[in-house]
Amino acid sequence: MTLIALFHESTDTAEVIDELHNLGIPDNKIVVITGVPYPEGALGRHREWLTLPYIVLAGAVAGLLFGLFLAVVTPHLYHLDVGGHPPVGFPPAAVIIFIFTMMATIVSTFLGVLWEMNFPRFGPAPYNKLVTDGYLAVILDIPTLLEDKVKQTLEAHHAHHIGEPEWMAL
Amino acid sequence: MPEPDHAVYETPPTTPYDERLLLAQRTDSEINLAVLQPMMQTGKGFWVLVTILSLIVAWGFYAWGYLIYWGIGVTGKNRPVYWTLFITTFVFWVGISHAGTMISAVLRLLKVDWRRPITRGAEAMTAFALMMAGLYPLIHLGRVWKFYWMIPYPNNRLMWPNFQSPLMWDMVAIFTYLIGSTLYLYLALIPDMAMARDHTGGWRYILYRRLALGWRGTEGEWHKIHRALGIFSIAIIPIFLSVHSIVSWDFAVTIQPRWHSTIFAPYFVIGAVYSGLSALASILVVVRRGMDLQEFLRAEHFDALGKLVLIAGMAWVYFWFAGFIVEWYGNEPVVRELIREEVAGHLAPFFYLQMSANLIPIVLLIFKGVRTTPALLLAATLLVNVGMFTERALIVIGSLQRNNLPFNWGIYRPTWVEVSIVAMTFAGFALLYTLFSRIIPFVPVWEIKEGRLRYTIRRIGRLLVPTAAEID
Repeated sequence: MTLIALFHESTDTAEVIDELHNLGIPDNKIVVITGVPYPEGALGRHREWLTLPYIVLAGAVAGLLFGLFLAVVTPHLYHLDVGGHPPVGFPPAAVIIFIFTMMATIVSTFLGVLWEMNFPRFGPAPYNKLVTDGYLAVILDIPTLLEDKVKQTLEAHHAHHIGEPEWMAL
Repeated sequence: MPEPDHAVYETPPTTPYDERLLLAQRTDSEINLAVLQPMMQTGKGFWVLVTILSLIVAWGFYAWGYLIYWGIGVTGKNRPVYWTLFITTFVFWVGISHAGTMISAVLRLLKVDWRRPITRGAEAMTAFALMMAGLYPLIHLGRVWKFYWMIPYPNNRLMWPNFQSPLMWDMVAIFTYLIGSTLYLYLALIPDMAMARDHTGGWRYILYRRLALGWRGTEGEWHKIHRALGIFSIAIIPIFLSVHSIVSWDFAVTIQPRWHSTIFAPYFVIGAVYSGLSALASILVVVRRGMDLQEFLRAEHFDALGKLVLIAGMAWVYFWFAGFIVEWYGNEPVVRELIREEVAGHLAPFFYLQMSANLIPIVLLIFKGVRTTPALLLAATLLVNVGMFTERALIVIGSLQRNNLPFNWGIYRPTWVEVSIVAMTFAGFALLYTLFSRIIPFVPVWEIKEGRLRYTIRRIGRLLVPTAAEID
């Protein structure tokens, strides 16, 4: 079953997460939703591994190769003599390669973070609008057997709105 | 023993952080409301402004259509002045776009806290200024339908863009900066779109829901967006430096006297930062008044921004002088003639306008009273941009009037078509910004709330001092 609880305080939230761990609820069954980015580790969660830097790196390399193709290969395919310069010169090629590398870096960062967050995702999801008003929401996926114990733990840490979450179309 | 002066001890301690204290005491929902409410208020003045700006834009489009129909001859372009008001204004808008990155990326990396309420305004300014700049190469082409020749795709005419050409670098660099700054603006906007989604209805709800992309604010989402913004902040800095450098190389790689200079790239970049920061300060003063954002855009923000403008202004003077002294000392005939024209010839009014409009604000901004008084800051920063526009006009138009072939000297006078199109982009920028301020939360709400997490007000003796926590 899925439960949601709202908290006023980050300290209560962190403590409740520790106790939920003690009850045997693994980290991947707990989702904390906030309207403000809390510092990593503030709520007692594990640091998440990100593939984003590798996506960005791959994007940058792709951009560099595309820039090389445009600046170094294509002038040989479409030969054009200008100003007594060779068809391919280092300074103009460096400019084009640099710009395409940076363009691909930027675009891959954007697409990479959307991919990592699984966005866009407009379907229904457990949520409470009070989150953007400053509340911290803890959403739990727990076995029904643990329901009473979990509710007691949540209430002991001043949680409110405890119950089944509303599945809202986001 | 003299009696202690009780009057002094009994005076309640005053604090320069009253407004910050007020913000610290507000709940998150009150902050949401304080940002969202001004967006919903579109009074008579707003619609009058939108109508006037729209009419100017419409007139500008008519002038552009006239230019396309009759050809580029309806402008004042001639031989030797083949780059005119269009390119001047193009360089000006690219310059204006530089403050967004300066404020948002550099200050984000340096974890400078006063950036928080002004980043979105700065990023929007960058995006809109680049949109205006991007119009000019199209307008300047005259035959705008030939633009697709710049796009590299195999074709049976065997035509291919010349990647050795600075004009090609220009197009690619500006396109990259426009993409980068728009994505940067949007990425930081997603959490606030979710906040707006949760507090609005009707068409706004539909729009904000789409733009929020399903954001909930899970720890994972925050972590990922923080990482992405960090990467963006690093990646966009070399782009912003390269864009105005490349714009300067449009000029510097020619053999035109006064353009062929190795100092042009840093000189253009610092000029761009000077004019961009000034434009940002001007806009913030106007938006603060128009949207009642006094609680978010406070004297401390204007003070810090004013100091940045001051530093950029002094750096601009240094680079200007470093270029000028070398040219003056070289004493080459055409350069000497151009300097004479500027100092004592028909360009003199523009030269002295440029110098006074750029130097007077530097002197004014030394005083804290000027930096922290919105009206005075507005006057000083508007003056900077008058000076910077004139500077660009002198570089582009002034220099082209003289060259190494004296029989080929000439002068330039703008036509109504050029003036109308330039006015169109100024009105277009203001129109986009005005509409943006009523549709998108102008103050980055989540960044403000994040800032509140870091700060507490601590009493030291008789003072209340904001104290930052060491968190990332």
